[in-house]
Amino acid sequence: MILIDHLGKDYGSVMALHDLCLEVPQGQLFCFLGPNGAGKTTTLKILTGLLKPTRGTATIKGLDIRKDGLKARQITGYIPDMPFLYDRLTTTEFCEFTADLYSVPPDEARKETSRLFELFGLDTYRSALIKDLSHGLRQRLIYCATLLHHPEILFIDEPLIGLDPYTIRLIKNLLVESCRQGMTVFLTTHILALAEDIADRIGIISRGDLVALGTMNELRDRHGGHNLEDTFLNLTSGEKDP
Amino acid sequence: MSHLHALNRKNRCYWRNTGRIFREQSRFKVMFIAAFAIVLEGGLAALFYDGFRFLSELGGAGTVILNRLFALFFLAVGIMTVISSFVITYSTMFRSQEVPYLLTSPFTLTDIVTYKFLESAVLCSWSFFFIMVPFLAAYAIHEHLSFAFALWNLLFSIPFLGLCAGIGSSVTILVVRWFPRRNRIARTVLLLLVLSAVLIAYLKTWSAGSEDQLQFNLSALLPGLSLATSKWMPSWWVAEGVMSLVRNDWWRGVMLFAVTAANAMLALLIVQEIGQRVFWDTWQLVSFGTGLRSSTPALFTRLRDALQILRPDVRGLVLKDIRTFFRDPMQWSQTLIFFGILAFYFANLRSFRYHLFPDAWRNTIAFLNVFSVAAVMCSLGSRFVYPQLSLEGQAFWTIGLSPLTPVRVLLTKFLTALAGLLPVGVALMALSSTMLRADSLITALAILMACCLASATTGLSTGLGAIYMDLHQRNPAAIVSGFGGTLNLVLNLVVMLATIVPLGALLHLRNTGILPDARFHMYLAATVVWLISVTLASTIVPLVLGSRSLREREF
Repeated sequence: MILIDHLGKDYGSVMALHDLCLEVPQGQLFCFLGPNGAGKTTTLKILTGLLKPTRGTATIKGLDIRKDGLKARQITGYIPDMPFLYDRLTTTEFCEFTADLYSVPPDEARKETSRLFELFGLDTYRSALIKDLSHGLRQRLIYCATLLHHPEILFIDEPLIGLDPYTIRLIKNLLVESCRQGMTVFLTTHILALAEDIADRIGIISRGDLVALGTMNELRDRHGGHNLEDTFLNLTSGEKDP
Repeated sequence: MSHLHALNRKNRCYWRNTGRIFREQSRFKVMFIAAFAIVLEGGLAALFYDGFRFLSELGGAGTVILNRLFALFFLAVGIMTVISSFVITYSTMFRSQEVPYLLTSPFTLTDIVTYKFLESAVLCSWSFFFIMVPFLAAYAIHEHLSFAFALWNLLFSIPFLGLCAGIGSSVTILVVRWFPRRNRIARTVLLLLVLSAVLIAYLKTWSAGSEDQLQFNLSALLPGLSLATSKWMPSWWVAEGVMSLVRNDWWRGVMLFAVTAANAMLALLIVQEIGQRVFWDTWQLVSFGTGLRSSTPALFTRLRDALQILRPDVRGLVLKDIRTFFRDPMQWSQTLIFFGILAFYFANLRSFRYHLFPDAWRNTIAFLNVFSVAAVMCSLGSRFVYPQLSLEGQAFWTIGLSPLTPVRVLLTKFLTALAGLLPVGVALMALSSTMLRADSLITALAILMACCLASATTGLSTGLGAIYMDLHQRNPAAIVSGFGGTLNLVLNLVVMLATIVPLGALLHLRNTGILPDARFHMYLAATVVWLISVTLASTIVPLVLGSRSLREREF
């Protein structure tokens, strides 16, 4: 589903991403871990079309992200760590707008918006302006708007920032269930417990290089440690947060 | 549904909700702003009408200027729109948080560029209607033109402003793409070229116009006149097209409208084409740059050394503000554009032969120049100094929890802004007086007024910025457009008029011989006392109230 082939990105003389090769099959929940500045967000930005790679290619469902970026974006959804929202739209209007962008038929968009609003507890905020929402409610709205067009691939940068325990549980369950139904999820996080809980496969990146890849058990067997935290620290030892 | 259609629908919702928010605001605030706008528009219309009457009474050159003034007006609006478009395009295309969102949504680059260009075009041109409406109304009344004149103007203005915005946007994208931001040699060469051009222009103007050349012609008096009426200029198409339609010369009017509209569409196509080719690369360059910058510009290092005399905490705050200013292209570019245009105009005063005018005229021009410098200081104060404390916003815990007292924070902000405005204002006034060959009294008064206005503007903007501090808002434009920001702008204008008008009137009365020299000196002393009193009051009172508000505030 996602195929990354010798991907690299340089910022001037700094190599942010060296030679990343990775394949994420359909229906997998893939967690990308790494210390700050390791190259996680750079990878995500390249995959979502925000950054141009210096080397290599990446395809999404066979679509080259450079040549067929538009078609690739049609089937993906992206939730950044600091999402942009139109402050002077209401929650419903923002979802209508997103549905329009992805050509979701109006009737279907209305039904899906209702379902997602109910699921995320946004029912009472239907006509509220986004500028009046708290950070957590904004995050919930982002999930609603992104899931509205049923993306085949979902990219998430730090999925649980600012959410309450109830919504965290809700999102974890939703992601696992969506993957069971065929959606591919590629997420980056610093919360190792989240990766341990829900990831089908984990990749650990350090200083632009992929240093480990596998399921939770495979990582433990190969690199030691009682839990993911031990494994992560073993693999990235020597690298401090910049 | 096309993506542009979806954006259009989103914009309709946005404006509907903006109207809703506007209706929910205090009625006093809305009425205050409306009354201010009406008074301003009415005042401008009266001023323009008086100007037209003066020109027609002048006869000869005055009548010729009046006939061509319409084209000259559109040339001026066009140039201002292009300049405004530089700043607005940069912020809407390269600094807007909406762009990454659009780039990850299924939009084509053409859609994104078109949408952002249209947004820039609207943002950079709407405010000119505030100048156009009173000017055109006064012109229509003076020339006894029908209501259709307004209609044709509106019709022509849309493609004309679109064309100017298109030129500005294309240039901005190309400059941002290829501006040598990291190449020191290229930057130095570029700077030297610009300085050489300015020096050549200055030397030409210095040597121009000796006393025996007093018989200047019309084009020397108003250099833009021949350019504005050139058949290749859009300003001429608009002026001639509107007047043709007013005269019921339909064929010529429609043809000129078609020319203007076709060129506006061509500008859109050029923006789309440039955008499609370089926008994405340029946006990446601006957003992600060339990676982590480890170097600290030498200027900042030297500045730190130079500021060693300050207390460490005050020095930290000053350095932080200076760094923020130079690293925010919106701030330095607007300051550079505003003051740069004035400096260019003042340096070229001798090209207009203004220095050969009689004393009364030179004094009038000198005071109009004081007014223009004051207006720029006032707008910069309102735009950049006023929101300074609010913009500390969520980072206020850093300053708020530091050993810096609120009063010291306020005074540091005030003095830093004053240190920036004062030398520029004084230098501009000195340049203007030198180029006009104004006498020493006028030069001294102009410089004194620049000092007073810099202090008053900075004091008012800093003080009111503390009183109406909004720590939750991160958008400076939203902070400025709030009640405090509007009040600050109005008070700045009031102070500006209260300082300039008495002195200007006094000098005018002396030049026209109404006031004898003996009484003039007495009145001058009284006016200077008034000027200093107004300055002290508008500097100290807001700062005292602002520091009291800061002390009592809970963060």
